[in-house]
Amino acid sequence: MAAPVNSVGKPSPERLPLNTTSFQKKTRSKLISIPGTRPSVQNGQLLVSTGVTSLDYLLGGGLAVGTVLLVEEDRYDSYSRMILKYFLSEGVVCRHELFVATAQDDPDDILQELPAPILDDVAIHKPLEQPLLSCEPSNSLDAMKIAWRYQNLPKVQSALASSSRFGHYYDVSKTMEPEIRQAAKCHRFYLPEHPTLSSPTHSPVLESYSALLKSLQDIIHKEGFDVAAPMSRPRNILRIGLHSLGSALWGDDLTCHDNPAHRHALTTFLYGLRALLRSSLAVAVVTVSSHLIQDRALMGSITRLCDNAIALESFKGSERETNPLYKDYHGLLHVRQVPHLNCLASQLPDHKDLAFKLKRKQFTIERLHLPPDLSETVSRVSRGEQAGAAAVASACGSGTSGNKHLDF
Amino acid sequence: MLPELLQSTDAGGLLIIRDFASFSGRHLLKSFINASLNRNEAVHVLGFEISKEELKHGLKEPNNQRLHIHDAFSDPLGWTDHPAFTVQQFSFEELTHLITQTSQHKPVNLVIDSLSWILRHVSPTVVCKTLQQLKKGGAVRSIIGLLHADMHQNGTVGSVCHLATSVITVTPGTKRDEAVAKITKRSKSGKVMQDEEMFIINEDLTVTIQNKPNHAGSKRTDSEEQESDPTANLTFNLRLSDTEREAKEKLALPFVFSKEKKTALLHSGPGSGRILYEPDANDNYDQEDPDDDLDV
Repeated sequence: MAAPVNSVGKPSPERLPLNTTSFQKKTRSKLISIPGTRPSVQNGQLLVSTGVTSLDYLLGGGLAVGTVLLVEEDRYDSYSRMILKYFLSEGVVCRHELFVATAQDDPDDILQELPAPILDDVAIHKPLEQPLLSCEPSNSLDAMKIAWRYQNLPKVQSALASSSRFGHYYDVSKTMEPEIRQAAKCHRFYLPEHPTLSSPTHSPVLESYSALLKSLQDIIHKEGFDVAAPMSRPRNILRIGLHSLGSALWGDDLTCHDNPAHRHALTTFLYGLRALLRSSLAVAVVTVSSHLIQDRALMGSITRLCDNAIALESFKGSERETNPLYKDYHGLLHVRQVPHLNCLASQLPDHKDLAFKLKRKQFTIERLHLPPDLSETVSRVSRGEQAGAAAVASACGSGTSGNKHLDF
Repeated sequence: MLPELLQSTDAGGLLIIRDFASFSGRHLLKSFINASLNRNEAVHVLGFEISKEELKHGLKEPNNQRLHIHDAFSDPLGWTDHPAFTVQQFSFEELTHLITQTSQHKPVNLVIDSLSWILRHVSPTVVCKTLQQLKKGGAVRSIIGLLHADMHQNGTVGSVCHLATSVITVTPGTKRDEAVAKITKRSKSGKVMQDEEMFIINEDLTVTIQNKPNHAGSKRTDSEEQESDPTANLTFNLRLSDTEREAKEKLALPFVFSKEKKTALLHSGPGSGRILYEPDANDNYDQEDPDDDLDV
């Protein structure tokens, strides 16, 4: 479904003979309407939400149906797993079908950990309505003593958000009720339950990957997620979550060796996955533990084979954890690739410095701000140092490098 | 955190002791064996690297019924007719069979000495798969493995440690007998805890924790010194007494309005007028630049 849906002018049924023009407003009547989707503002692609509103914004409104999002796992796979769970939860709430494939934990474990949706969140997330409230509690009036005229202005929002509501909010401290979860149709693929033959060492395709691809293909054809399938029944979206692909448990030695024997196994699989998704109403999120992959060129080609790619870099265990600059955040988010769908130039995110944090209930991605440097000495220190360095250099008689800034 | 790990190995856990040539982690491994035996748990040891006798040396009760040592040291590759345990037997089915054969439904801890030896002869993907199956399998309660990190490629060590619930990296300390343990523990909820501890292993294989490595402590004192109170020795009075504060709060400042007036100003009532102004394209003159209309 990566091709834009044609927008065809709809002839109006009750045409008045006089006083009307022949101009008709363009409508998108041919658009397939599926709950939980919306057309992109830029190019008319059908989008679904990732479940993280700020991530949707970053990816240009959402994930286009028919594309693959690659999430490079953080070192302990805690935040990437959370993104995967958000993506699946959004599918449950929108009544999409799910497909979960894992090799490490049982897919049911992931499904049981899905965060609970906050369904009455509409009242909370309306910053514009606050000034209209007439009777505010008096303590909020006392909150600003001097600049009280500003107190009813909406707060500046640091979190990335698009204006219209799309996608839901989730409370990560609670898990979804089993009734809601079981209402969604879920296909599971747990690798140890699929006995695979040991493949010959130099075969480009691993048995585990081909079994996975086969199972995906079956579901897409049988359950009618093909775009080409007849429109006999209401269409739905298939959300595919593939956890920790390329890890040793998938039988892939990509992460184990500097020069893996199954060098092209994962890339071959991704080609197949992409080809399959392009012609179906499905969208996939793939997580890969990229920090274990030693070959950067290989990681680059894996990134190229996915449409969207983001990388999570958790501060846990790195020296950045104690850096005061990052004290409000839990990690950095790098956008490795944005989709180029039916266009030459893709829309780039307006910010490159992004950080994520896990608040008590929610995972958000924010712009990383540098705090303003208010100290008076800060700009002078470097000049003083330069002058000092120059003085030292000339004193030693070897004035070659530091002399440039020296004033005579 | 090290004593907690020694005291209770949680079910389904995989603990990896990562050491380097500069410091052997085997003494710590023996401490773990001792601690499990003290808890009345059965221990199965796959000994590839040292002989049975050497392994038993120093243990509190070397002939304990609950200690089963599978000798893979004398013939690890099955060259003789009756090998006790070979590296090819390192698979989920074989190990489950071996363990259920000898011990009677007790919590079983599997100790592997060492994973490095197995990784030399079995492909890392198979080792990872077996470890994962053992973790999930049920026959084994917890697995403790020794891994010599400098013997393998980074990716192999990373992949094995990625599966582990706890990783203890041991490096030599500054003094004799002293060692530093860097501990990373992953809880089931996905929370990661990290700690660094200095420890000594005693003669009877108990572990004594020294004070924490001092660089963290020294950093803390530095920041405390910097945060000394600048208002401590002043020649004038900066603080208010209670009566002074009361008097200050009574004072009505100019241009501070009452609550009612503030509310009235902030929420203009129905009678008052409002200016609604929607700027259009012709209106964008700049207030900052008075010469905007001049052609300069």
